Amino acid sequence: MKTEEEGFLATLQNLPTNVWRSIFRNPLPSSDLGRSQTTFSNLFLHVHPVKTHAHSLRPWYTLGLGVVSLSLFVILAATGILLMFYYVPSVEQAHDRMLDLNGTVAFGVLLRNMHRWAAHGMVALVFLHLCRVFYTGSYRAPREFNWVIGVFLLLLTLGASFTGYLLPWDQLAFWAITVGTSIAGYAPVFGEQIRFLLLGDRVVGQEALIRFYVLHVAVIPVAISVLVAVHFWRIRKDGGLSRPEGLDLPEVQPKFPEALAGKLEGLAPAAKTAKTKTFGVMGIVRGPFNKVGATPDNTVYSWPNLFIAELFCFALTVLLVLVVALLWNAPLEAPADPTHPPNPSKAPWYFLGLQEMVSYSAFWGGVGVPTIFVLLLLAVPYLDRGTRGTGVWFSRHRILGLTAFTTLLIVNLVLIVIGTFFRGPNWALVTPW
Amino acid sequence: MSTTTHPAAPESTAVVSRRRALTVTSVLGLLGAGFVAGFSNLLFFRPRVTYGEPSRFRVGKPESLPLGTRLPLSRQRVTVVRTEAGVAAISNTCTHLGCVVATTEIGFDCPCHGSRFDADGMVLGGPAPRPLPWFQVSVSPSGEVEVDTSQPVPTGSYLKV
Repeated sequence: MKTEEEGFLATLQNLPTNVWRSIFRNPLPSSDLGRSQTTFSNLFLHVHPVKTHAHSLRPWYTLGLGVVSLSLFVILAATGILLMFYYVPSVEQAHDRMLDLNGTVAFGVLLRNMHRWAAHGMVALVFLHLCRVFYTGSYRAPREFNWVIGVFLLLLTLGASFTGYLLPWDQLAFWAITVGTSIAGYAPVFGEQIRFLLLGDRVVGQEALIRFYVLHVAVIPVAISVLVAVHFWRIRKDGGLSRPEGLDLPEVQPKFPEALAGKLEGLAPAAKTAKTKTFGVMGIVRGPFNKVGATPDNTVYSWPNLFIAELFCFALTVLLVLVVALLWNAPLEAPADPTHPPNPSKAPWYFLGLQEMVSYSAFWGGVGVPTIFVLLLLAVPYLDRGTRGTGVWFSRHRILGLTAFTTLLIVNLVLIVIGTFFRGPNWALVTPW
Repeated sequence: MSTTTHPAAPESTAVVSRRRALTVTSVLGLLGAGFVAGFSNLLFFRPRVTYGEPSRFRVGKPESLPLGTRLPLSRQRVTVVRTEAGVAAISNTCTHLGCVVATTEIGFDCPCHGSRFDADGMVLGGPAPRPLPWFQVSVSPSGEVEVDTSQPVPTGSYLKV
């Protein structure tokens, strides 16, 4: 055969190429076929469809909040695994290990700072992402269940942050968890039982530390990873990101703003074969936006358009976290002292709205209102069955829902601000200035 | 459709077909196994012994607690009280959000969120929803006063010594 004729020298010469091609089946794509193949033949890229609707790529529609949330999770996983190499979940050692990280471990401070600030950032960004999805009506059919998964992801994010809060074993950690788990103790009937299961004891101690550690480094991250995978996969199965209905109808298409005609001109060309387009199995995906032959093609190839946008979000997130981590150190207080609570003792900031409510009514503030709020969030896509105004920010067709959501949002924010800045010793009202 | 292709199927005149019986049994078995697994996990996560401060501890002979004693034990989170009525143990864990209360001249103050209690642990003000619990006090065989923080007793339960 020919290769045998080429001899051993030629085999050696071709070795790098052959190895490269055995890993990456496709060369960097220069044709539409190549762009498709690159996307769907790669395990990680094929979470996305081969083609993405141009509307989904508008930065001001999504603000990239979902991808930034995931980027923060990736940063947290990477820095968290590195921190695990030096951390010991024991009440005798945990705080000393924090001092070691701050003092002797190379890049220890930086890793700890990145992990801390990315954790706060992820709580905030996941919540902002939820707001974006609500304000654009993106939870509506057929995306109801992906919203439900998203709500669970928010709860898991809060859980991850809360369990991580205890690990430094300083005064802040100890009393925030004491206060936070006491709020759980207000649940009716099973409150004390839940708290006992969570802490493994009646007070925060070694048992609580190891439980929170296992939840923080294994249980919750795995649960988040699985749900994130489903979350992304369902975006695809639900017909891509939401967008205004009628966007693709032929009579509307000419009016479709300059986005396709002008702004996206530099992007890879969309297939111009709406009428003759053939669909594979992906053509019969459920949903109103993916009907064979009914939709003119306003899509662009995911490679490179979508992937570059996502890479940009990721790079920007890493950059911001790095800058913040270089500028501000994660606080570390004195070692936990179970006999001397600081005055005032505060839960983590995202629970301070709850703590503020608890100071008025223990049960309603700590259990009743949050439970109702979560149930309401879960029920939103099943209560709102409308279709008008989907895919548009602050659509006036959804004025009732927008007002209700905004009211709850502002109340929660005001309570958090009061709890964070306006509560001093003995939980008395103080001014922060 | 399958019944027409399977000559054996129409013969099945039993009340419940074999396939259905197997299906129902399997589903019930799986549900049962899931329930047992869930319950076992609950038992697993509920520790039978705790490794923190023991709930029973001795605080010395009654003679070492003169009349008028109010002895806060910070590790055990209990204040041992001796009055003319006898000896009692009052919890130092605030019923609001679990902080340690400080002993004051008139009773207890919570430094975290401003709950105030009188000398018997009754709520005077602040967000605390319940009075501070009292714990069972007994005299051990060695003659020492023993407190059991796992046994709450009604407010005002003194042990005569």
